[in-house]
Amino acid sequence: MKSSSPPSPPKLFSHLYIERGVLEHPQTQRIRAKFADSQVILIDHYKEVFNRPAQSFAAQSGSKKLILARKEGKFLHEGSQYSDGFGTEQFFYASSVMGCLYDCDYCYLQGLYPSANTVLFVNLEDAFEQLRPYLGKDTLVATSYDTDTMAIESLTHQTLRWLEFAVEHEHLHLEIRTKSANFKALKNTTPSPRVTLAWTLSPQEIINTYEHATPSIEKRLNAAEEAIAAGWNVRLCIDPVIYTENFDILYPKLIETIFATIDPNAIEHLTLGSFRMSQNHLRALKKLRRSDVAFYPYSVSDEMATYPEAIETYILETLMAKAHQYLPKERIRTWQRQL
Amino acid sequence: MIYFITALDAEARPICEHYCLKRDRSLPFTLYRNDAMVLLVCGMGKTNALMAVSALMGWRIPKEEDILINIGICGAPSDYLIGEALLIHQIIDEDRHYYPDILFTHSLRETSIRCVGTPQSTLCDYPVDMESSGVFQAASRFCKLHQMAYVKIVSDHCTPESVTKEGVIALLHAHVNMLDSLISSLKAIPKPTLLFSAGERDEIEILKDHFTKSQSDALEDALTYFRLKHKDKPLSLNLHIPNSKRERSLLLEKLISSLTA
Ligand code: SF4
Repeated sequence: MKSSSPPSPPKLFSHLYIERGVLEHPQTQRIRAKFADSQVILIDHYKEVFNRPAQSFAAQSGSKKLILARKEGKFLHEGSQYSDGFGTEQFFYASSVMGCLYDCDYCYLQGLYPSANTVLFVNLEDAFEQLRPYLGKDTLVATSYDTDTMAIESLTHQTLRWLEFAVEHEHLHLEIRTKSANFKALKNTTPSPRVTLAWTLSPQEIINTYEHATPSIEKRLNAAEEAIAAGWNVRLCIDPVIYTENFDILYPKLIETIFATIDPNAIEHLTLGSFRMSQNHLRALKKLRRSDVAFYPYSVSDEMATYPEAIETYILETLMAKAHQYLPKERIRTWQRQL
Repeated sequence: MIYFITALDAEARPICEHYCLKRDRSLPFTLYRNDAMVLLVCGMGKTNALMAVSALMGWRIPKEEDILINIGICGAPSDYLIGEALLIHQIIDEDRHYYPDILFTHSLRETSIRCVGTPQSTLCDYPVDMESSGVFQAASRFCKLHQMAYVKIVSDHCTPESVTKEGVIALLHAHVNMLDSLISSLKAIPKPTLLFSAGERDEIEILKDHFTKSQSDALEDALTYFRLKHKDKPLSLNLHIPNSKRERSLLLEKLISSLTA
């Protein structure tokens, strides 16, 4: 057999699987135009592609496909114990995308989903309708909870649609969490005091090892800086902290790097949290055998795996002390297991 | 191992010649082999395909690095050229749909295909064949979706009576070189690498025998952590195993904390 140089993987979203029912949706048509070279495959329901048996999450990660579908059930889910609702009366996260463009080794999506492909629910207008009855009182919606919506904003425009919706509803607060450097997608939008852009930050060494396909720390910080300069509320998150042998060097240095770029007075909060995951998701992550993060001897209680208490406390105390050099304690939030 | 599946002997012949495959009588189906490849002639129709592929895969269970190529002729609507090779991304069998994962670049035209029960004399929306859904259903029990490729060569515009044995041989013969590049594309998809060598695995299993099930699970996790974290560091598992249960537990605790430090 003749041998030649190994072929490159197909470009991102080389295949669009489209539910027949959303073929005429304007969002579908816009995406089709954007990916005019991609193969289009008509399907009846997204689950026949996304939930197929015998998929390989690892192999698909190098060649992700896009599935366009209609969400039939609830878009909104109540905030979970793994996240912070910032004391708002009601806290939801919106699930308008399944899967993520990025590929973090510690991501629970790998344990949650059978596929590395992305499902985009194009009928976001139904999420707004589902939310309306709650908007009589203060309500926080995390729009980027099961994914990184900003990473695909130029494709979906979903964040822009959320921002437009928020303008009309004075009790609606949005949190848009991202690792992306894509601030330019929001550049022409007027900042809202009820919207917080939250950047997840990690030391570059951790990004290189565990956060595949994500922008560098420098790019994330530059994007956060631009957002601050444009007048947005910005929160920074060092969460999840991955405990490694160099923790004592990497993470305090990260805090120094952050505040060498960003004015501490210009951010809403700094959030600190060590890695945590439900035991079920961790079991599924182990089956993939992709990363050491899944195999650390965590301590498990109430079905939640965390670093052993002594390490968790050490992580938070170390980072708290460092962050306190720049910020008052009330602007540092931490996630710690409730004992 | 590369598994080729064809329905007809005429489809198999050019492939056997190209890769020097020899007749093998290990199964009650027509098989041809060399050291790296096996070709199965499954016969016409979904049921034959399902049975023959199940038998082949049960006999030689595919590994993660193996690939399967179902290649053969198909009828097609008139906008497909006779002799054109198609790569199938959706197999429609009445109300059931099957999707191989195409995780490689290629220069073939992609399409859906309808897998039907009898030769088709009327044109339909997509190309038609008679085996792909049977091959898929059997093969997807044994291998991942990205390990398979379905290649169909247009033999007719739904005029099955025009297809001859010599014509089929010529059609397949024209595409055997394409198989070379298809194989190298499929092989280039990144595979999970084995974390432990065979020797290390033996040592690990011997060590695990000294512990309870939950202890040995914890040890396996710690070893996996160590290997994923320090890809090039050797494992040193040459331990003296104490007789007392308590001491063994202490030893395990120490070992796990040194592996995950
Ligand atoms: S960016 Fe977030 S959602 Fe995306 S892979 Fe990483 S952890 Fe998961």
